[in-house]
Amino acid sequence: MRVVVDLNRCQAYAQCCYAAPERFVLRGDEMLVYDPAPPEAERAAIDRAVLACPVRAIRVEPAAAEGTA
Amino acid sequence: MSDADGTLFAQVRDPANRPDPYPLYARLRAHPVARQDDGTVVASGYAAIRALLHDPRVSSEDLPPAEHPPTGNPVKDWIVNPLKDRIADRHRPFIFRDPPDHGALRRQVMAQFTVARVRGMKQRTEALVAECLERCAQNRTFDLVEDLAYPLPVTVICELLGVPREDEARFHAWATQLATALEPESRKDETLRACNTETFDAIADYMRDLIREKRRAPADDMLSGLATAKDPEAGRMSDPDLIATAILLLIAGHETTVNLITNGMLTLLRHPDEFARLRADPERAPRVIEELLRYEPPVHYRTRLARAPIPFAGTVIPEGAPLVLLFAAGNRDPARFPHPDRFDPDRADNQHFGFGGALHYCVGAPLARIEAEAALTALAARLRAPRLAEDPPPYRDGSSLRGPKRLRLIIDAIA
Ligand code: HEM
Ligand code: SF4
Repeated sequence: MRVVVDLNRCQAYAQCCYAAPERFVLRGDEMLVYDPAPPEAERAAIDRAVLACPVRAIRVEPAAAEGTA
Repeated sequence: MSDADGTLFAQVRDPANRPDPYPLYARLRAHPVARQDDGTVVASGYAAIRALLHDPRVSSEDLPPAEHPPTGNPVKDWIVNPLKDRIADRHRPFIFRDPPDHGALRRQVMAQFTVARVRGMKQRTEALVAECLERCAQNRTFDLVEDLAYPLPVTVICELLGVPREDEARFHAWATQLATALEPESRKDETLRACNTETFDAIADYMRDLIREKRRAPADDMLSGLATAKDPEAGRMSDPDLIATAILLLIAGHETTVNLITNGMLTLLRHPDEFARLRADPERAPRVIEELLRYEPPVHYRTRLARAPIPFAGTVIPEGAPLVLLFAAGNRDPARFPHPDRFDPDRADNQHFGFGGALHYCVGAPLARIEAEAALTALAARLRAPRLAEDPPPYRDGSSLRGPKRLRLIIDAIA
């Protein structure tokens, strides 16, 4: 899967960091660093992050290689 | 905002409407920003609430000045208590503060709300829930409020803060007494205010000692962290701020979490198909909980103050007007959510106001999510044939922190 965070939207609420700490980290106060290609096995944690984000800044898309399957 | 019914919000506050305030919210939304007869301005439309949450002219400093009730003892009435009131006014909990003070205090708390600490509470919370259910294992009926939802958040926050276990019982008593402190209505009730002031003084005394102890021998807990950490800009948190913050953490996460768990179970039992789906698939819990935060939120509204005239949709909110941000009405705004009155955990776009928004967005949200998930998944997994003993249940008086006073369940067994 491919994770895209709209960083213009992101307000550094850090909710994703609690949901999937291995994949979302806030550097300092403001800047979100995230893994754009987390392993499929972490789907549940990533979904949690998507749901918890107060500004709905996180999107999950199928990885390019997965095509439309 | 002129031709609207100016008594609608008074009707919202009327306990008779506690079981189902949503029809009133729908009528309020006809004027997304509506002036009430007493001068209060109520925002009930999604877009209006959102705009006001982000508006720097909208202040959270709407707490009336602290005021100890007279005791008859002149030393207390003329010296000690006025001093305490002055300190209390200068060191309000940060939920009642605006920038720039708010930011520094909040940042220091967030620095202690580490991912590791919060996630570390997950297993512990699950164990606490299991203990509560164990205690009721022989019962065929139990009260979800008293037997599970009420004790859970206090124990969790005490452990996170680092309150010694032997003192926890005192916190449960204090939390019960202070539960009303965040309820705007309680500010008008003299007896409640007097009782709250007394409890505040008692917790403050306790906290002062505990903080001293944490500074002497810091442990790996939030209070030790807050008492010893130095913020790069703000430095070390002052004792009165630290005490106010600790009390805020205790009460802000108390009845709110209780309401999420009890409103949650109530809603699930009113939608048995959703209850069955949660039991079959605990992974649905995060969706269920986000939808609960929209559909039956624990906090129906928060109050604010207009610091300046605010033009809005052709009218002007006057300077000094008390504001109500009616989150629970915005959450059901058909202009924002399709079929808003349907409980639908699968809705794709669920940007609710359950935890507020903007600067004051709930600090405890990740913890609340953990507690609600632990409770609701365990209840779904372990209660056999649960049904409501009464529907609607009796509600507590509060119209902001709205939730059942008790939620009696009849069950065949606890697995
Ligand atoms: C389901 C449970 C909870 C709900 C629904 C909830 C809801 C809210 C809401 C709506 C606000 C915004 C207040 C405003 O804008 O005026 C808020 C703020 C806050 N909450 Fe929660 N809360 C919950 C649990 C907790 C917990 C467990 C804690 C602490 C451990 C907590 C601590 C706070 C604090 C400190 C604030 C103030 C933040 C600020 O002013 O910057 N909450 N909460
Ligand atoms: S939860 Fe959303 S807003 Fe907050 S840091 Fe993550 S992406 Fe940004």
